[in-house]
Amino acid sequence: MNMEAINQTPLMEARNLSKVYEDGVRALDELNLIVKPGEIFSMLGGNGAGKTTTINIFLDFIQPSSGNAFINGIDANEQPLEAKKHVAFVSENVQLYPNFTAMQNIDFFTRLGGRSDYNRNDYEAALTRVGLQSSAFDKKLKDFSKGMRQKCGIAIAILKDSPAILLDEPTSGLDPKAGREFTKLIGELRDEGKGILMSTHDVFRAKEISDHVGILNNGVLVTHRTRSELTGVNLEELYVEYMAGYMDESTATLTNDLDHV
Amino acid sequence: MLSLFIQKELKNIIQSPKFTATFVVCTILILTSVFIGIKEYQNSVIQYEANRQIVQEDARQATGWNNVRNISHRTPTPMQIFVSGLHFDVGRLSRISTFDDVKLTRSPYSDEPIFAIFRFIDFAFIVQIVLSLFAILFTYDAINGERESGTLKLAFANSVSRIDYLMGKFIGIWAGLVIPLLIPVLLGLLLVMVFKIELTPDDWASISSLIGLSVLYITFFIGLGLLVSSLTRNSALSFLLLLVIWISSVMIIPRAGVIAAGQIVPIESVAQLEAKQAAFQKARWDEWSEQSSERWRERSAQMEGMTDEERQEFRDNKEWEWLEEDDADRKQVQQDITDNNRRLLEDTMNKKKEQERIAFSFARVSPASSFRLAAMTLAGTDINLKNRYEESMREYRDEFSSFIQKKQAESGNRGGFRISIVNGNVSMDTGRENSAIDTSEIPQYTAPVVTANASLGSSIFDFGMLGIFIILTFGGTFVSFLKYDMR
Repeated sequence: MNMEAINQTPLMEARNLSKVYEDGVRALDELNLIVKPGEIFSMLGGNGAGKTTTINIFLDFIQPSSGNAFINGIDANEQPLEAKKHVAFVSENVQLYPNFTAMQNIDFFTRLGGRSDYNRNDYEAALTRVGLQSSAFDKKLKDFSKGMRQKCGIAIAILKDSPAILLDEPTSGLDPKAGREFTKLIGELRDEGKGILMSTHDVFRAKEISDHVGILNNGVLVTHRTRSELTGVNLEELYVEYMAGYMDESTATLTNDLDHV
Repeated sequence: MLSLFIQKELKNIIQSPKFTATFVVCTILILTSVFIGIKEYQNSVIQYEANRQIVQEDARQATGWNNVRNISHRTPTPMQIFVSGLHFDVGRLSRISTFDDVKLTRSPYSDEPIFAIFRFIDFAFIVQIVLSLFAILFTYDAINGERESGTLKLAFANSVSRIDYLMGKFIGIWAGLVIPLLIPVLLGLLLVMVFKIELTPDDWASISSLIGLSVLYITFFIGLGLLVSSLTRNSALSFLLLLVIWISSVMIIPRAGVIAAGQIVPIESVAQLEAKQAAFQKARWDEWSEQSSERWRERSAQMEGMTDEERQEFRDNKEWEWLEEDDADRKQVQQDITDNNRRLLEDTMNKKKEQERIAFSFARVSPASSFRLAAMTLAGTDINLKNRYEESMREYRDEFSSFIQKKQAESGNRGGFRISIVNGNVSMDTGRENSAIDTSEIPQYTAPVVTANASLGSSIFDFGMLGIFIILTFGGTFVSFLKYDMR
């Protein structure tokens, strides 16, 4: 964790965030979390745990039933256009436009992100940084693998150069090599001072790079551990037990203590 | 931001295989249809000129005013190249005669029925069927497709206005579809000029209106595609829905309108009408025959008690008077028949107008009908083509009949003749000498002219209907998209 982050203004904050859908399903229940500059916050949880709902509220794709989501201090649902200037997003399965080349896609989404000051060299640098081969720069996206498309997605996020980044299961479906490269890149962005909120199923990578790990179950943040609190903890076991629903915060602490024995 | 979306959309369309397919298909279809239309028009002009010369030659060879044969022809119009409308179905000519009603016969398709099997595909058909389908193909996944692929979420993760996004999408798709339409149309017009087809300023104005109408029609289908795409989450579903709407709008509703009107206002068939006319005609001539016999009996009665010489003298003195009296009666009968025919025709025409009104009111629920009706009106090949020509030919027939009667009166021959048997020698007196007549004075038929302003005025309702459909679809799309779930 970047130590300077401790006293800084949160880049992303969920304050008592709840979401109840029209069919009565409670997707989020009083979620509180903070992501500061130079931090990676990973949300772990099964399907329907509320991870993507949280990200969707931050992006104003859905309105919270109660509570607030802030990006760089701006309410993401009251001033969404202003808030979105400060956040980049990489989805689970970056598709982009299949008839566009990587360059054309990067150019469009970067301009959409409000950056029209880049030239081709800047795009090439970003694509090179994410590990895309130069021979693919001018190839159409329809010929790209998922890993290559994901690299383009992260390049777009890098070029937007926003302080906050939202990642929705970014390593899902990637091969181990691509997953590793992606994790390394996320770490670099964190080191540059970006605040990253990531939803993932991948407990190993979450433990590897996260400064905070929160486990969500049925919309409730059942536990929240910092990097130091995770040292020596078998996160996978912890995760499985929380998902099984037979562990509460007190038994989890006990388990954590026992792990240290 | 708006220009960025427009550029993206246009680029995305132009780089897609469906744009290439649309452009190639439109170019081939439009150029082929214009080329065939030009050839057909040129043939029509040649046939028209040849027929006119034959009629003039016939008139020149007539040996008396009572046997001048006259036929009027429907004038070909260059607009039939673009919108054939009813051109191939309406007769090309009508006999002009005092004794017969005007009736356009020998339509191009009745002369050459093989071409009616696979009918001529004109520009209006291409726009109505092919381009509207392409418009659906371009838009069915415009919004829900981007949701499915995740690009919608990625775009709206930025500081993007929904209105800018939607406007950019609409303008981009619109330009992407209008380009494959306008380029072949311009090439088609070039082809028209290469073949030296004379277009009047009115024709140019009508062509411009037709292009504007086509763009409006395509705009509606773009709006419809965007609306359905913004109302559904799944592009396969929106395609299916659009296909159903397209089939209903283009294929079913226009025909259903006509069928419903036919049930609501039944009209006698031409055969029934002609049977009624023939029955009256027979009854009237039978009546005349009886009256004529009675008159001759009275005339004979006047001669009773006379010697043969006195009878002969009486007959000689009265013969022309009696002939004129009979002729006047015959003319009265003819006039009664003509009046009755006109009355029956007018009654049928009024019913037809009512039927058309109901059919078109119902059919106009579909923009395809509005487009078709307006396109035909602009081209002058509309539903009124037959009536317009027959009305003007009837006026011409009256003028022509008056002229012939005047000439017959001047020449002392009204078409009657006298057969005399004197001392066993039979002679026929037609009342004039057999000699050529000066046909240059015969009034010439002038085809009815519909100006571009008049045709635009007649089609303004359909333009308005298309405008309303466009406003409804775009209004609906905006409302729907403002609430669209981006996830």
